[in-house]
Amino acid sequence: MQIDPRSHIPIYQQIADGMREAVAARVYLPGEAIPSLKAMALDAQVNPNTVQKAYDALSREGLIYARRGKGMFVAEQGNASAKTSARRSVQRILREAVRAAKAAGMTAGEIRQLFGASLDDLAHKGNGA
Amino acid sequence: MSTVQTGTRTEPAIALSGVTKQFGTTVAVDGLSLSVKPGTTFGLIGPNGAGKSTTIKMMMGILLPTTGTIRILGRDVATEAEETKQRVGYVPELHFMDRWMRVQEVTGYCRAMYARWNDDVCREMLERFELEPTAKVAQMSKGMLVKLSLVLAVSHEPEMLLMDEPMAGLDPVGREEFLDGVLRTVCDRGQTVLLSTHALDDIQRIADEIGFLYDGRLLLQRNVEELLSSTRRIRATITQESVPQQVAANVVWQQVEGRNWTATVVDFTAETLQQLEALPGVEHAEVIQIGLEDLFKDLVKGQRSVS
Repeated sequence: MQIDPRSHIPIYQQIADGMREAVAARVYLPGEAIPSLKAMALDAQVNPNTVQKAYDALSREGLIYARRGKGMFVAEQGNASAKTSARRSVQRILREAVRAAKAAGMTAGEIRQLFGASLDDLAHKGNGA
Repeated sequence: MSTVQTGTRTEPAIALSGVTKQFGTTVAVDGLSLSVKPGTTFGLIGPNGAGKSTTIKMMMGILLPTTGTIRILGRDVATEAEETKQRVGYVPELHFMDRWMRVQEVTGYCRAMYARWNDDVCREMLERFELEPTAKVAQMSKGMLVKLSLVLAVSHEPEMLLMDEPMAGLDPVGREEFLDGVLRTVCDRGQTVLLSTHALDDIQRIADEIGFLYDGRLLLQRNVEELLSSTRRIRATITQESVPQQVAANVVWQQVEGRNWTATVVDFTAETLQQLEALPGVEHAEVIQIGLEDLFKDLVKGQRSVS
């Protein structure tokens, strides 16, 4: 997993986001094991406590669950909740963008217009809905 | 995870209380108090001469504090130095290995000093780092020496690792291999780790907590992620050429250039911005997030401007 230590997104959140994407993309199917703390810590080159924090967050969301002594597994409804979680992270990114727009002195109207234009842009390219 | 139990209460793995170290008239460490919980990976950062190395040497009992007490894994270092050494792995800034020795002679020499030396751990680490037992220390690169130093520090299966600028002078590959070695022992043994470093990107990856040392004092101790998510740089246009006075947040550094006021704050919240915008003379405030490196620079600048 690629981690950007210079990003403003906390590392545990980058790991959680990466895992949500992987589950949503069915890299890990419901009932399948996800990498252990150690495997993920070594792969991402981060402290295992940070991975624990990411896994804790994903457990609370119901995306993964622990099997005693066997590690973490993707929940049955994991792929569905991954979508809900992905929604949450989009919400976070949008909030951040709105804050930046306000800081740049844009009005609510201007922000709405820009958002609409961005959506249209995507629709024209045929990627979005 | 290893914890230190005294009765039912969990003691900090590292506890410094009012520690001062003077060399003649020079104060290297100045009333330092620090507490690190078991299982934490702690990054000690600060400019050169801040007292990082002196602090680590005192934790190892190599230097004695002028005043104050140091407890490591629940024991007073001043009275139980030998027991502390047995339970702590130490990666010094300068490696003490004799140049004429071979790797197996160095490991043999260290083996004799520890009651709990584990040959399997030692062999496995040497193999992972591709260190030949017959290689001569004199012919090893800086990167190989640091890796050997880590092997020596963890082969007696310590409960804690203290490392003094271990990654200084390593190339990116060497750094990655070294960090991988550290992470492996942290994953396997849940040790408490304290390391001093200038490599802020690396510390951001592997540390849970950081402490910022300046002029022998601890200016800041925070969880890394909390620190990053609550640090902001504020740029505001002000009507008078004077610094806004009533900023509630922790300003670590600020400057006024003409009508532009720039400040770096920690523990930033939404209220901080509201308070700021409500100040008379502040016209327009912009808030951006900054990384550890910028925060570090601003902390240093802020200290220099007050001293």
